[in-house]
Amino acid sequence: MLKSLKREDLLRLLETLAEQYDLQVPLKLPDGTRQLGRYGSGELSLCGPLLQRKPTSLLFPQAELLLSINPDGSVEQPHPAEKPLALFGLERSDLAAIAFLDRFFLCEPADDIYQGKRENSLLIGLTGFAGENSAYLPPAGENCDLELIATADGWLGCAYSAAGKTLLAPFPDSEAKERTEIDQRAAEPKTDSLLKAASRLLREDKVPDAFWQEIADRCILCTGCNLVCPTCSCFCVQDRIRDGKTERSRVWDSCQLDAFMREASGHNPLGTEALRTRRRIHHKLVADVERWGEIGCIACGRCDRTCPTGIGMFAVVEEMINQFG
Amino acid sequence: MTAVVAKTSIYTPRSCRLLTVEQLTPQEKLFRLQLLDGSELQHQPGQFVQVSLPGLTEAPISIASSPTRTGDFELGVRKAGSLTSALHSLQPGAQIGIRGPFGRPFQMESLRGKQLLLIAGGCGLAPLRSLIQYCQDCRDQFASVQIFYGARSPQDLMFRRDLDSWQIDDNFSCRYTVDNKPADSCFDGETGLITELLNEVVLQPENSCAVVVGPPTMYRPVIAELRRLGLTSEKQIMLSLERQMRCGIGKCGHCSIEHLTCCCDGPIFWLEEVEHLRGAL
Repeated sequence: MLKSLKREDLLRLLETLAEQYDLQVPLKLPDGTRQLGRYGSGELSLCGPLLQRKPTSLLFPQAELLLSINPDGSVEQPHPAEKPLALFGLERSDLAAIAFLDRFFLCEPADDIYQGKRENSLLIGLTGFAGENSAYLPPAGENCDLELIATADGWLGCAYSAAGKTLLAPFPDSEAKERTEIDQRAAEPKTDSLLKAASRLLREDKVPDAFWQEIADRCILCTGCNLVCPTCSCFCVQDRIRDGKTERSRVWDSCQLDAFMREASGHNPLGTEALRTRRRIHHKLVADVERWGEIGCIACGRCDRTCPTGIGMFAVVEEMINQFG
Repeated sequence: MTAVVAKTSIYTPRSCRLLTVEQLTPQEKLFRLQLLDGSELQHQPGQFVQVSLPGLTEAPISIASSPTRTGDFELGVRKAGSLTSALHSLQPGAQIGIRGPFGRPFQMESLRGKQLLLIAGGCGLAPLRSLIQYCQDCRDQFASVQIFYGARSPQDLMFRRDLDSWQIDDNFSCRYTVDNKPADSCFDGETGLITELLNEVVLQPENSCAVVVGPPTMYRPVIAELRRLGLTSEKQIMLSLERQMRCGIGKCGHCSIEHLTCCCDGPIFWLEEVEHLRGAL
């Protein structure tokens, strides 16, 4: 059942959430961009362009303490968070990325550090006419606990989990026809068909090594593509010793770096930039399809906006299709 | 509700005591370890552990002893990076951390009843030794066991004492060779590439299975030789692949081989599972 919310209802919902959760909401930054930040710590910006920093970083942070080893060899786990996370204001691609990471980190053997953050957390989608300049954002679907759909004169609430239903219970029911109007706009984005076409070219082995060499020649190894990607999950482990105590953390890593796969023996299965560039694209478009049954790129476009030399996912995919499609 | 965080996580190492250290070659040592809580490691041949030292993170090390030999376990370690160098400086009595065992082991159900060709190069003999010891202790499970080992030079031969004992063991056939021997060496064993040893093998290919553990450069020539010997069907050639396995649970991405992870889907693979994957061999 859809619920109808006015702006003041939505603010009331945020207050309720902030009592129970570590609530992260879209905040406006001085440069006009938006990113998730703690509720109350900045100017709320419900509608606008895609969140610049990937929201998955709140579940899988850039650096995260795994454990501490005391001088006597005993091991301590990090203190648990006081409240579970609630991520508010996610659009469809970001929710798809979280679903992707959930499946990856929680499949056996499960990563219990990620699980600790994700358990009891709450995901709230923000779709409808909530994009930049009221642009239409497609429905989020069941990747969230509840979805708030911006309409011309307010918000529709749609719950997908028990927690979502409880939160929306105080609000009045809506007329069903409004949702129908919204759903009629839910066509497959053009970006998805481009990714599928490129995936097919790679699986059919129609992309020669020379292509990867040419793309790799433009790469400056800044690793930005990996760091902004919401489905990139590679990490390395680092130890830091403070007062005799070893803090062991995991830190995001990049498959574009020479040391990524280099073994202590010197053997390096990804020993050239061409191989590493191919890996970045191939992993999302082929390996993830083999492993998980779907493409690992959620088409958010962050890597294309970040790459200083214009070889983000869609730039490469378009070039690939133009040359070999 | 606040998430419940367990007292340990999948990344928490368990404490072990170093019982003995044996120099195997100028670069390799054998470490015999025991879990401090007195429990067995409960590994299977072909699996590995993550060895943890404070300040130096972790390194994946193959288990060199068979689970049939209870009470302790052994790791054959080449001094190659900062962690293995620090490990080499430890004395008996020291404590180290381990996580695991991890990875897909040798597929014993496919090896039972077969004529086995167990082939290792360089420090690949360490993981293969766990299987060889298992074959020693459960010899009646296998039709025959032939061991082949190659190293670069006489001083690089690991487990010399084991090799010599396997050579005089009536249950085994064991041959080892070195690529080159210095002119002044007193080594009186065989010289030549490991593929030359395989040239002379006599077997019934339909009832044979080969296990290959070696440096990356060894796989293709050895596989070609095994195919020439008639091992051309599926599930006849098993490989142990080496990658930079950082987490051991398939999450960190460093050991991926296309859609597979070496630490969870491997390190033991059937040839047909990986030979078509770019960069696997």
